[in-house]
Amino acid sequence: MGQILQFTINGLMSGAIYALIAVGLVSVFKATRVVNFAHGYLIMFGAYFYFTFAVLVPQLPFAPDWLQSWRPEWMLAMREGLPMFSPMAAVLDWLANLPRILLGLAGALVCNALLGMLIERTLMRPLMGQSVFAMIMLTVGLISILSGAAQLIWTSDAEFVPALAPNTPIRFEMFGANIFLFGADLANMAIALLIFVGIVVMVHYTKSGVAIRATAEDQSTAYSMGISVPKVFSRAWVLASTTGAIAGAILATRNGISPALGLFGFSVLAIVLMGGLDSYLGVFIAAMAVGVLEALTQWKLGGEWAGIVPYVAVLIVILIRPHGLMGSKEIERI
Amino acid sequence: MRLNRRHFLAGSAAASATLGMPAILRAQPSEYVIASSLPLTGPFATAGQMVAPALRMFEALVNEDGGIGGVPIRVTAEDSGYVPANALANYQRALATEPNLVMYFGDSTGFMKLVAPELRGASARLMGSTSFASELADPVNNPYQYLPGPSYEDQFDILLQQIADEGGSSVAFIFSNTEFGRDPIAHGRARAEELGLRVVLEEATREQGADIPTHVTQLAQSGAEFCILQGYVTGVWPQLIGGARQFGLPTRFMGTFWGMENAIADRVTAEAGPILDGYAGVMPYKYFYDPERGPVYERYAAFQKAAFAGTPLENYMPTWGLQALFSLTIGIEALRKVAEKGLELTADNAAEALADIRDWDTGGFFGVPVSMVNNKIGTGRVYQYGAETRLFTPTSDWFTV
Repeated sequence: MGQILQFTINGLMSGAIYALIAVGLVSVFKATRVVNFAHGYLIMFGAYFYFTFAVLVPQLPFAPDWLQSWRPEWMLAMREGLPMFSPMAAVLDWLANLPRILLGLAGALVCNALLGMLIERTLMRPLMGQSVFAMIMLTVGLISILSGAAQLIWTSDAEFVPALAPNTPIRFEMFGANIFLFGADLANMAIALLIFVGIVVMVHYTKSGVAIRATAEDQSTAYSMGISVPKVFSRAWVLASTTGAIAGAILATRNGISPALGLFGFSVLAIVLMGGLDSYLGVFIAAMAVGVLEALTQWKLGGEWAGIVPYVAVLIVILIRPHGLMGSKEIERI
Repeated sequence: MRLNRRHFLAGSAAASATLGMPAILRAQPSEYVIASSLPLTGPFATAGQMVAPALRMFEALVNEDGGIGGVPIRVTAEDSGYVPANALANYQRALATEPNLVMYFGDSTGFMKLVAPELRGASARLMGSTSFASELADPVNNPYQYLPGPSYEDQFDILLQQIADEGGSSVAFIFSNTEFGRDPIAHGRARAEELGLRVVLEEATREQGADIPTHVTQLAQSGAEFCILQGYVTGVWPQLIGGARQFGLPTRFMGTFWGMENAIADRVTAEAGPILDGYAGVMPYKYFYDPERGPVYERYAAFQKAAFAGTPLENYMPTWGLQALFSLTIGIEALRKVAEKGLELTADNAAEALADIRDWDTGGFFGVPVSMVNNKIGTGRVYQYGAETRLFTPTSDWFTV
């Protein structure tokens, strides 16, 4: 039982990140009816922006020393004598990195938002009124552009970034088994869930959110009711880009950073199809289910199966419910 | 016109010259081509993009030395994206478009296995690669493919022997779920049993974006004293070690060639602290910073300083680049031997010359003379990373398996 709990929690931590990635896909689809195949590459850009502001900028000659490593006297005194991998040392080391972590997050959010706006204004908006298929194909083309641009700007070198939260180990006993958790992963899960819930609340209870939902229902009616549909499109892309920036930063702290990060979006696309392209709740359930299935499969059947079993489950769900777990039935399939 | 003796002789001479010309051209082409597939994009792009300039340097230096039998070489590189089918298409294209193709450099175990059945008759070329896959060191079935160092199975043997010598009793194998990752696992399991070691965990992971908490949990619960990592290049292995260290696991980590790059270890240390301190593994070649680097490394260093100024290759050649350079160097050595004998540079002649290489002084790649036995060079030594020095330093003498 303890083992099941351990791997279920591990799966939920992965699932929360899948959900954060998926929220961007759903937001763009809800507002524009476009499945953004390039979403994984927006996330990759978010990760690279985080790397730029958290690692490269603090190394610049004019950057103050505290930005690279903030170690006031009291911190040095506390850190002295602590074993390298003790929980307190992990917290203090994280605190020393906090200024650049915050700069990295702020930089990633702003730059990715601008990137999302740029894509929407220069590539997607001119296609408004054209077939949705053309817009979807454009996002496919965008994959090559973003992937190539990232390699030109940052090269293909594998890089490493500071964790968003202290990676202190957490151990406790439950049902007779030792449970191991990573502090940073729990924090990542909390961040992902908070953002996810925040977006769902925003979409349901704010004016902007109502505009997105109205546009999703019927663009022409939304226009006639005075809603600026282009603005809604723009907001959806900015929302996807900013959530993508956070997801990118989290992925970069977990796995390091390289252009291969963009491929992550494709596995999440299957999750979105399982949950329903236009359902936040459905996608959330699907993300958590796939995360847990992956972890349990890894535990019981090994890594050879971990990449297959969850996606067989996705396939079965889509076969039974072609519109996904909670997606609207009238969705046009592509 | 009447055909007299003079006309007959002149006509015969002209006909002979015309008919013989292609043979002369074939014997002495204007250049020889060495083609390659590199993962310039995809999960191992970091490695591919650092190897590409090394190939340019290789071409320049070989041509400085007179090419092959006085004929210059041209080295080409095409992107495979680390997809074996792409690399196979690249090879087939090179065969079709480069009439003087004499050697090929492949970029993965998957490609080498995929192309092996194609290497027959006119489609065969001498073929080195980035792979140390054990299956490729098979002169009977793959006479044209060779390994530029010990196979992954050999590398596992060395590490397991070291664990046994240190009194270890349990070991975990964590590997990427790829051809590259799975290659030595079955052999390693059998060898561990022979040495009296318990294999307490065999864990396959994604090659990128692995679920680190789950794998570290499995490792923690296995209670392994040692853990050998296989099938990774830039990612996963540092995060696994970092996770284990955060948890205070006493497990000692080891790796094989592709997990032994100093530049990656340095980047990990810069961001995550000294988590890799004590990490050890097998390396066939001297690191580029070795204080006793030989004339070949000195020559590379001089070239790099001039040609790659302002890039990461100005003062350093990663182990991935050294592997590609050595793989091609030994291939060129074989081709030169064929040319010296006045034979045609066919795959059969090249493979025969390659198999004859014995006690060869590599000029610095290895610390001892090496031999090509069973299409591999089973020489290397164990290095260990020190977080203070930020260098991999040798902890064993050179050995040959």
